Amino acid sequence: MRRHLLILLTLAIMIPSFGALFVGGAGVVQHEKTMERVARSYVEDMAGSVAARLEMGWGRPGSFPLNDRERFMRLRQMTWGLSIPGWIAVVDIQGNILMSTAGAEVLPLLWNKGVPVGSAMEVKNSDGEKFTLAAYPAGETGWFVVAAVSWSKLMGPMMRFSRWPIIVGLIGLLGMISVLALWKWLVAPLRALGTEVSYLQWGQEMPVADDPSAVFEIRRLRQVLHHLAKGAMERSDLMKRYVGDIVRVQEEERSRLAREIHDGPLQDVTALIHQIRLAVMDGTSPTEGGHLENAEDGARHAVQEMRALCDELSPPWLDLGLGQALNELVERLSRHLQSEISVDVNYPDELPPEVTLAYFRVVQEAVHNSVRHGRASRVSVRLFGENGQAVLEVEDDGNGFDPPDDYEELRVRGHRGLANMSERMSLIGGKLEVRRLPGGGTLVRCVWSVTSASV
Amino acid sequence: MTIRVILADDHPLTRAGLRDYIEKEKDLELVGEAADGLEAWELIVREKPDVALLDIRMPGENGVSLARKIKDSKLPVIPVMLTSFDAQQYVIASLRAGARGYILKTVTPDELSRAIRTVARGGLYLDGDVARNIEDRDMAFEALSAREREVLLYAARGLSSKEIAADLIISERTVQTHLASIYDKLGARNKTEAMLLALKYGVVALEELID
Repeated sequence: MRRHLLILLTLAIMIPSFGALFVGGAGVVQHEKTMERVARSYVEDMAGSVAARLEMGWGRPGSFPLNDRERFMRLRQMTWGLSIPGWIAVVDIQGNILMSTAGAEVLPLLWNKGVPVGSAMEVKNSDGEKFTLAAYPAGETGWFVVAAVSWSKLMGPMMRFSRWPIIVGLIGLLGMISVLALWKWLVAPLRALGTEVSYLQWGQEMPVADDPSAVFEIRRLRQVLHHLAKGAMERSDLMKRYVGDIVRVQEEERSRLAREIHDGPLQDVTALIHQIRLAVMDGTSPTEGGHLENAEDGARHAVQEMRALCDELSPPWLDLGLGQALNELVERLSRHLQSEISVDVNYPDELPPEVTLAYFRVVQEAVHNSVRHGRASRVSVRLFGENGQAVLEVEDDGNGFDPPDDYEELRVRGHRGLANMSERMSLIGGKLEVRRLPGGGTLVRCVWSVTSASV
Repeated sequence: MTIRVILADDHPLTRAGLRDYIEKEKDLELVGEAADGLEAWELIVREKPDVALLDIRMPGENGVSLARKIKDSKLPVIPVMLTSFDAQQYVIASLRAGARGYILKTVTPDELSRAIRTVARGGLYLDGDVARNIEDRDMAFEALSAREREVLLYAARGLSSKEIAADLIISERTVQTHLASIYDKLGARNKTEAMLLALKYGVVALEELID
């Protein structure tokens, strides 16, 4: 099972808060019950004790032994001892109040509700206020002692808990707000970061440096990842520059060598041939003539070899422009590889030297691959313009070739040709595409745009 | 009547050998030598020789560009390339620039003088090493048909088989058959060589092919 962070966090918030809510609720219920019992026993005690006193003082009705003064004193005694919030009254059978503590006028209104004598109960008045009330008969007098406490007065503050649903709702709302906050600041930024990093092409792309809506830790994580991605990019850049430098230095070196051979030894040996011929023309003995003829043959052979070496290193005819260079190359290759190679140049503008060189090397490599690996008998090389781009295509009728997604993979496996072609194109800011043709054969396609920035 | 020649090459030893070649011929007169392109241009303008032997690769200015300058300024000087480059495309480029001859530096004294005389007469001379001689292959040269000649001229202008087919209102396959026949008759291995050989044997004129 996948454990989602948001679900875990929601549970982590919800379980304790509902637990607390439940315990609190149970406490409140328990508390209310206790308060009810306390209030009942309180009013029962009060009513009972006053009733007992009355019984002692008055005895039977009709034989009231006390004068008004004594009655007053007893009432005082009665009320003095009751310094708690609540009321007590003595009523006759009709419900008339005979004696009462201050504020007990409310009692007859409650009394009418048919209170059972001898045990306390909760009643409500017409305003909905809650009271606990008890009535006790005062012996044989026919009077009743009624005692009551008001919940709102006695236990008001504690009873506020009766707004329980509002509190539950409030807590629920708070919980939801915290879940939302967690989503916005923690889960969403974390998810966004996760998605971004998993689709990131290391060495080519950078994650966004900062996410202001995320918590500090995630922002920090983002910074670290950004830093790492930057490092990867720098490394990949460096690698590219290395490869680019290698290619450049190699080409420079090859062309320097070719130039040196052409301007140095090739000219020297050519001059040598002239001198040998002049010597022969001045007249020699048959033996000398034979030696000089051999020397001339050797020197001519050396000239041909040096010329071939120059062409292999860096053909001087690249200076003539890509069109002519491709013609020359293809004519030489078809002679050398014994295959039918055609070239069709239909691009009017001159290309920069580095593009000319790159395309030239790609054709060299691609034609070799077609004939050697693809066993192609016909290869066609085309150069043309398309939407402001110089497009080079090398198409063959060989076995066909499925290129890998990553040419560097081929390099790792030791097949440098394709990786080199791709590298050369990327160095001039162009693109190389290799694909198998439906009818068999392979198409190598290079695209370079005049607007491409060359490295 | 002697043919006045100048020699431009940056390599002193090569110059020395070629100088000796020319001086051995009574009808050739070497009127000046240059070691680079700029010097060569001055010499051409000053001496107005009949034939200018120009190295393709020289400091200052290369031979092909000098040939074009001669052509553009309408000087009565015939440029001949004297080079180590055996690429056929150089021959084409030189001819386009106005050169009338293309000789490799390994040329024999006989060939050199023959080349100079040929171009001075208004002919065209291409070294046997860049466009092989028919004699070398020991084969009789068969004349091109009018259609083949036409196809060759189109091809020489850089048109593809498809374009030639469209222009001449024939199938692309027919164009390829014609080209194969042209190559076969001239003993050429490719289009460039066919062009050069056709020029060399006078099957087509330089003006027809280049302009």
